[in-house]
Amino acid sequence: MSTIPPATCPFTGTTAAPLDAKASTPAASTDTDGREAPVADWVRIEDLRRNPFPIYQRLRAEAPVHWVPAVNRYMVTSYAAAHEIEQDEARFSANERESLMKRAMGHSMLRKDNPEHQIDRDSYGATLRPGTIKKHWNAIFEANNTKYLEELKAKGPGADFVWDYAAPYTGENLRLICGFHNATHQDMQRWSQTLIDGTGNYADDPQVWAKAAASSDEVDTAIDEMLVYLAKNPDHSLLSNLASFPIPLEAIRANLKMTIGGGLNEPRDVLSTTVWALLTHPEQLAAVKTDPALYAKAFEESVRWVAPIGMYPRETTRDLVLEGIRLPAGARLGVVVGAANRDPQVFEDPESFNIFRPKKPHLAFGGGVHFCAGTWIARAQVAQIALPQVFGQLPGLRLDPETPSVDEGWVFRGMTRMPVLWNH
Amino acid sequence: MPTIIYSQPDGTSTEVEVADGGNVMRAAVNEGIAGIVGECGGQAMCATCHVYVDPQDAASLSPVEDDEDEMLDCTTAERTEFSRLGCQVKLGGPVQRLRVSIPSDQV
Repeated sequence: MSTIPPATCPFTGTTAAPLDAKASTPAASTDTDGREAPVADWVRIEDLRRNPFPIYQRLRAEAPVHWVPAVNRYMVTSYAAAHEIEQDEARFSANERESLMKRAMGHSMLRKDNPEHQIDRDSYGATLRPGTIKKHWNAIFEANNTKYLEELKAKGPGADFVWDYAAPYTGENLRLICGFHNATHQDMQRWSQTLIDGTGNYADDPQVWAKAAASSDEVDTAIDEMLVYLAKNPDHSLLSNLASFPIPLEAIRANLKMTIGGGLNEPRDVLSTTVWALLTHPEQLAAVKTDPALYAKAFEESVRWVAPIGMYPRETTRDLVLEGIRLPAGARLGVVVGAANRDPQVFEDPESFNIFRPKKPHLAFGGGVHFCAGTWIARAQVAQIALPQVFGQLPGLRLDPETPSVDEGWVFRGMTRMPVLWNH
Repeated sequence: MPTIIYSQPDGTSTEVEVADGGNVMRAAVNEGIAGIVGECGGQAMCATCHVYVDPQDAASLSPVEDDEDEMLDCTTAERTEFSRLGCQVKLGGPVQRLRVSIPSDQV
C-alpha cells in the first residue's frame, strides 16, 4: 500500500524526494539522502510576534526547513515544501501527539487523518457550501453587516474598526452559522479567544488552561441545549445538521470548538487587514472603488500577504527527506504558510501588497484534505458583503493619524488596534 | 490502463495513464500537469481543477451532482456545458480514454 507518487509543485516544478527513506541506513547517509536541518537559534518568539516577515525571509533564503529551538519545532518556510506536505497526508500526519489543540478543544477533524477525518467533515453537510451561502447566508450576512456598520457609525470617528465592527460582525455571523441561538456574539468572541489561547499555551500557564476549560464547558452546555432544540426546529446551521447525523457527541463538541476558534478571528482579521492594506495603498483603493469586482482580488491578495493563520502543525510518519532536508519519523513540523505565501520562487516582489499581481494560488486556506471548510463563507462575508459596504458607507475612511494601528502575531496574525476616521 | 490526454491552452498536450478509478485532478497533480491546482484535495470544494471535457466523451461520464454543480459556478474561467471538476471525473469502465482541455485560469 501507500506508494503515493511524490507530489510536484505546480509552480516551482519541484518534485518531492523519493518516498522510502525507510531503508534507513543512518550511518552511511550521503548527500543524496538530504542534509540535516540547519538550526535557527537566533529566532525569538517576541520578534516573530512583532513582525515575522523579515525572519521568514532570512529562513527561506537559507533553507526550506529549519529546526527552531524557540518554537520547539521544525519550521517549514518554502512554498514547495509546504505544498508537498499539504498534498501528502500519508507522510505528514495532522494527528499530532501531545497536541495542545486536542487538550484545549478535544480531538477535532483538523487533527485527524483520513478516513476518520472525512466522517467528521461530511457531518458538516452543505452548511458552508456556496449553494447554501447564496440561498441562505448572504441575506443574513447583509443584515448583520448593516447592523454593525450602523453601530460603528453611531460610535463616530475614532472608533476601532476591529473591535467596534469587524469582531461583532464576524462573531454574529459565526453564531448563526453554528446555530448557537442560546449565546451572544460576545460569548462567541470570548470562547474563541480563550480556546485559541489554550491551543497556543506553550508556556503551560495554568490560568490560560483554566479559562480554556471554562469556555469548553460553556460550549458543551450550549451544544447539548441546542441539539435538542434544533432536532425539533431545524435550520441551516451546523448544529442543526449535526442533530440528525450519526456522529459521537465527543466529535461534535471538538469540531464545534475548532470552528469557533477558526471561524471568527480569521474573517475578522482578513477584513481588518484588507481595509488597512487598501487605506495604506491609495492607488489600489481608488481602483477597487471604481471597479467593485476588484474586492475579491483584494481579499485574495490580503490573505496571501498576511495569512490570518500563519502556521499549523504536522508530524512526520516516517524518516523522510523534504526538499533536501532529512527529517526523522515523529518530527514535529510547523507549516508556515505565512512564509510560503511570500516565497519569491513563486510570487514576484512577494513582500508587497499588490492586488494586480499575476494570479497564483496561495496557501492561506491550506490545501489537500484539510482545505479550509469556511473558505467560501469567508469570501462571501468579507469580500462580497463587508468590503463594498465599508467603503461605500464610510466616505473618506482613513486611519487615525493620532493613534497608530497595531498589527501583530505570527501563528495568528491580524490588526489588534485600528482606530479610523471618516467624513461624518 | 485508462488514459487521460490533457490539452493546454497553448495547444500542447500530455498523455497520462491512470489506474482504474483514478480521477482527472489527482492524476494531473501527481504528474505536475500545469494549470490544474486541486487546492482542496478532491472534495469538490475549491473549483481549481476545472476542465472542459471533450464533447464526444461528455455523455459517457458520471453526471454532475449538486456539490459539483454549485462549485462549477465558482470557476475562474467561463463555465460551459462541458465544464467539469477534474476531481469528480473518474476513469475506468466505459471511460478508457478521455481528452480534457485545461482552461486559461484556475484562480
